[in-house]
Amino acid sequence: MSETAVRDALAAVRAAGRRLRERNPEEILDALGDVLETWRDPASAPRRALVRELPSATGFSAPVIERGLELALAPWTREALHELWRREAGPDAVGFDTTAVLLAGAIPMPTLLALLAPLVLRSGVVARAASRDPLTAHVVAESLCARDAGLADALSLVEFDHDDRDTLAAFLSADCVVATGSDATVAALGAQTRGKLVSRGHRLSVAVLGEDADIEAAADALAVDVALWDQLGCLSPIAAYVVGAPAEARRTAEALAAALDRTEEVLPRGAVPTEAAAQISHERADAELRGAAGGAVALRMGRTWTVVAEADARPRAAPLHRFVRVHPVPDLGALADALAPYAAHLAALGCAGATLPHDYGASRICPLGQMQAPPLTWRQDGIGTLEPLVRPAR
Amino acid sequence: MSGDPARASLDAELLGWMAEPWRNDDTRFEKTARALFSHQFAHCRPYARFCRGRGITPDSIGSWEEIPAVPAGAFKELTLRSFPAEAECHVFRTSGTSTEARGALHLDTLALYEASLLPSFERFVLPGLPRAARVYVLTASPEEQPDSSLSHMFGVAVAARGDASSGFFVRRGTLQFDSLLSALASNDAPVALCGTAFSFVHLLDALEAGGQRIQLPPGSRVMETGGFKGRAREIPRDELYEALGAALGISTDCIVNQYGMTELASQFYDTTVHEPGAPRRKLGPPWARVRILEPQTGAPCAPGDVGAIVLHDLANTGSVAAIQTADLGRTVGNGFEVIGREPGAEARGCSIALDEMLERE
Repeated sequence: MSETAVRDALAAVRAAGRRLRERNPEEILDALGDVLETWRDPASAPRRALVRELPSATGFSAPVIERGLELALAPWTREALHELWRREAGPDAVGFDTTAVLLAGAIPMPTLLALLAPLVLRSGVVARAASRDPLTAHVVAESLCARDAGLADALSLVEFDHDDRDTLAAFLSADCVVATGSDATVAALGAQTRGKLVSRGHRLSVAVLGEDADIEAAADALAVDVALWDQLGCLSPIAAYVVGAPAEARRTAEALAAALDRTEEVLPRGAVPTEAAAQISHERADAELRGAAGGAVALRMGRTWTVVAEADARPRAAPLHRFVRVHPVPDLGALADALAPYAAHLAALGCAGATLPHDYGASRICPLGQMQAPPLTWRQDGIGTLEPLVRPAR
Repeated sequence: MSGDPARASLDAELLGWMAEPWRNDDTRFEKTARALFSHQFAHCRPYARFCRGRGITPDSIGSWEEIPAVPAGAFKELTLRSFPAEAECHVFRTSGTSTEARGALHLDTLALYEASLLPSFERFVLPGLPRAARVYVLTASPEEQPDSSLSHMFGVAVAARGDASSGFFVRRGTLQFDSLLSALASNDAPVALCGTAFSFVHLLDALEAGGQRIQLPPGSRVMETGGFKGRAREIPRDELYEALGAALGISTDCIVNQYGMTELASQFYDTTVHEPGAPRRKLGPPWARVRILEPQTGAPCAPGDVGAIVLHDLANTGSVAAIQTADLGRTVGNGFEVIGREPGAEARGCSIALDEMLERE
């Protein structure tokens, strides 16, 4: 798509957004709520399209997509959208005339929310689909088209190569730009953006099992949190910290290994790039050697998963794709020390059997098994979903 | 050095090999690799346990290719030495950030390290240059950084093959830009300009800031090594080479990348200066071999397929010779190339790489 085509798309959604702002905001909200309700129905056209076509596009297995969508969309109801709107916007709030959304990654829920949020605020939206997921944005557009032509007109999907600087510059000329990516990517975009930049950086999550945790139940729940989206999302736990004696961490690792093995049967892991496979192989050998050297390190692995029972709480490489380290921490004070290196990058803490005295920098604390299902009102990094998209009063 | 006669015999065999004319010899490699494996299995207890855990002993293997490789990352946490601790004479350490452990290569002799590095450096970096060549190095000197294997390597190369003007042009982390320009301008003999990739970025920045460019004398070459780990800036290698070629007035074929690591005594080099016109690939000395393995199965990759790089460096007599890296590569002819991450490649998820996070702390 050319620079001119992107500028034309921006002009078209600017006009469509203006028409949206002439309508009752609650009418818009109802329409978008209906879209969410459609997506929540496993038998709906968008859900069937995603389960059918996302595996080949993204590398995730169909059961992972099916279960991941089911779990994540469960709390995303029409009422939840209204609640989000009441908390962060309200009837007088409107978005920027145009919002450009640079989508990233292969997980569909962030794409859905990133496209609906500016529309809630009646902003015209241009979006570039993620190279890892060319499908979801189009399914969102089709859902809008089926429910409300005015909303559909306010969303335009554009395509251009990531190194086409002129077209990117046209895209970034929107009044507001929303981008997700690595810190380096976001910084590079920030330097080119003339309007407001709303960025979501990459994050990681961890699990905490307190002394009151039922280890078997917690391991089953944690295995689901790990298996969904093959541990690639910012809400995927890369490690588990077990409060108590080291033997408890080893027991947890054993239980988690068994749970991941069972989980593979119902939620098979998807494709693993060679680079990640090499890292997994390296880290498995590393754990094997540290165990052989007399460290209290134990490696458990199956064809598609790895659990390393570590002897200490030191952070180590996380190759993802269902590779979990289980660390012992003697008490909650030691947990604070263990989590300190993550603080600036922590998205969520999945927790079982403990009442945590702090958030340790995480913007979400939830039970294990629910890590991949944040509510619509989750304030990632303390920043709301709609708030940063509201145009300041003129 | 250890007083162990078997080890002394191995070292003598290897030092002899390194002093001979360059010749690949499969039989000699097989025999020496197996003898070295037996020695390291007997003297490095963690390695022996690691091998036994995989059901492998010196008696069970049919070929050197079955010798288990230790992961390079293990050198950060374990002391992998095949000699008594009291015999240790030197430790090289990897670079690292404040929160990241540094890998360490423990040595009881520098003789093999030094004897191994020179033939490759001469063959792949210095061909066509006089016996006393201009070797200018953009790293700290070994006196300033005694635990840097790279500084030590350059120190040995400068001492063995450098002329009186050769030396180091980084002091206390700062490029000695004016001294370098002055040295380069001092005569018109070809120069071997060596350094880390990031030191060349500093050089390019300094040249750009002054609106300058350098015309290196004909026959000059650049040797760069290392990546951008822990650095705020990263430049794709192709872009770096183009920029260096333009700023220094040389062809990119005159730029040689060295693939090495602190945990190894031998290094691998691009062939472009040694074999002008032939496909760019990496070769190492006859006593070091590379295998490209399919990471999920450990089976050898088909020629040209991308896999994990595993190195067998017989000059590592004092530690462990077989090392598994997390780097990707593929065979190219009789050599290999290292495959970097695709520039601009987008992640499938939004989870930050923990390594990336720790590197930035």
